[in-house]
Amino acid sequence: MTERSTRPADFDAYWAAVDDELARYPAAPTLEALALPSDEYSTVYAAKITSIGPYRIFGYLSIPKAEGKHPGLLIAPGYGSVNHLPHLDDRQRYVTLVLMHRGQRLADQPFAAAYPGLLTLGIDDPAAYVYRGIVADCLRGAEFLLSRPEVDTSRVGISGGDLALITAARRPGFSAVQASGLLFHRLMAVRERTDAYPVEEVNDYLRAHPDKVGAVARTLSYFEPANHVSTLNATTLFNGGGAGVKSLMDAIPGTAEQYELTHEGGTDHDWADAWMAKQLGSIPKPHLWEVA
Amino acid sequence: MTQTTTRTRGRADQFGTSVVRPPDFDEFWAAIMAEANAIPLNPSMEHVPMRSTDEVDVYEIGYDSLDGLRIAGWYCRPKERYLAPPYPALLIVPGYVSEPTLPKSWAKMGYAAVGVAPRGKLRSNRHFNPGYPGLLVNNIVDRHTYSYRGFYVDACRAVDFVLTRPEVDPKRVGVHGSSQGGALTITTSALRRDAITCGAAGAPYLCGFMDATSLTNSWPYQEMNDYLRLYPDREAQMRETVAYFDGVNFAPLITAPMMVYIGLNDDVCPPETGYALKNAMTCPLEFYAQPRSAHDAGRHWVMPKVEAFLAKHLKPAATSRHAEPTVG
Repeated sequence: MTERSTRPADFDAYWAAVDDELARYPAAPTLEALALPSDEYSTVYAAKITSIGPYRIFGYLSIPKAEGKHPGLLIAPGYGSVNHLPHLDDRQRYVTLVLMHRGQRLADQPFAAAYPGLLTLGIDDPAAYVYRGIVADCLRGAEFLLSRPEVDTSRVGISGGDLALITAARRPGFSAVQASGLLFHRLMAVRERTDAYPVEEVNDYLRAHPDKVGAVARTLSYFEPANHVSTLNATTLFNGGGAGVKSLMDAIPGTAEQYELTHEGGTDHDWADAWMAKQLGSIPKPHLWEVA
Repeated sequence: MTQTTTRTRGRADQFGTSVVRPPDFDEFWAAIMAEANAIPLNPSMEHVPMRSTDEVDVYEIGYDSLDGLRIAGWYCRPKERYLAPPYPALLIVPGYVSEPTLPKSWAKMGYAAVGVAPRGKLRSNRHFNPGYPGLLVNNIVDRHTYSYRGFYVDACRAVDFVLTRPEVDPKRVGVHGSSQGGALTITTSALRRDAITCGAAGAPYLCGFMDATSLTNSWPYQEMNDYLRLYPDREAQMRETVAYFDGVNFAPLITAPMMVYIGLNDDVCPPETGYALKNAMTCPLEFYAQPRSAHDAGRHWVMPKVEAFLAKHLKPAATSRHAEPTVG
């Protein structure tokens, strides 16, 4: 049995409804230049845009000061309350958007996410599950970045976990995807082999609600990347993931690669950085240094 | 004063730190700890059945700290039918942006474990919330109101919390974390040297603050570079303040056995600052420096050593399991 077999019959209708809902709300972006992180190379803006709900979400948008259009990079939100400002190395090369989805700091009014807790919020009902809105936030972020006049739309990448894969699959326009740390891929199987958070949140929930196993599995199937990637045409790199992502790679119609982690953070960072730079026609910015 | 990292630089262990210990460093912290000690702890524990298991009970905890702040945390302890008390206590102290862990996996190993949430972390941020970026430079021109004054104390108060627990053996109290958690491991082991049995610090942050700003352009130290770009005239005040909060200056106070591990290509907490910490420590020390590792500090290889180090000194009842890795 493959992950594809869990694809709900109304999967396409579910996500079409999200797109319809997004279309009803203009992004209404505002940009406010931030003096502290802006420097001689780039200007960093506090960006606010509207997603479904309606809900106002936040992003750090960094635009290089060099003239002309630049490659774009969307850094999808991770699992946690904080996403860092874009790194200076990225800010010099790319129009970079670091997105805070609903509930994360800077997008936590009126809804503040709980950690642990976010992963299972509304998880027994696909229509109420918090990640329906979170994916919408990422889709809106992608639309926003791709609409920026400073962006060379032929060279736009996205990095992150499941949210990067789902966003790129649902919003054509990305030429490169770099995925790592997948959370939703085969989550119902993975949960049986670990007690590490955040996966343990699902175990906690199902210990308290053992009758909800079927409902939870059904909800998660809408967020299973394997059910999304058949429309992913961007060149995709999986950083790590071992054999667990092989079926995902096979399901991607575009080019899919895998990098085997060395677990040397510097080595792995530099490889990933160079890969994205190559995809976007930019230059690598290695962090490793040699001892003189 | 923003500088980019260069492709070559000198040996990290040959770096000469600029950290200077203020003559009144000990008096400064003695006064703060005396102020803190006068505040009743008012500990609270609320059982969280949903996150408890057959082996571990989970509690949401709270206690009072400096400035009238209520500090939150998670407390995970083995169930008595799983492991009999007394238990060694283990503080798991958080990284800069990560939320406090819920240390169930450590409790399964036999520790009465606290996931500490100092001020500004979720559930401890109602009255103090400088944000990220923000925490590192919050009032950085004034040591008496600098954010880490209360932050360090909040972590120390978690020691006080575990010492109120009847199931905890007060002679076995450890502390462990990476990045900012590494910094808090150092500061807590120094400020509560009367109670700490051992500590394991990964990629220690908040060591050699000013040196770090010239060695990296990665967050969080980049907050200081940003601040100085906007307010260059405040550099002397900044330097004066952070000297009172520098792990290098806390290091000589530590008496318990410690373990420190760093990445020799850490672009977040430069290895030069890790060596400055090592060189200032006079306690028994296990030190690991992993080539080509960055802020992971060789976590992939070193975590078994961390678990063994903590187990050697704290003697938990069950050591066959592996804990979740601590991250910055």
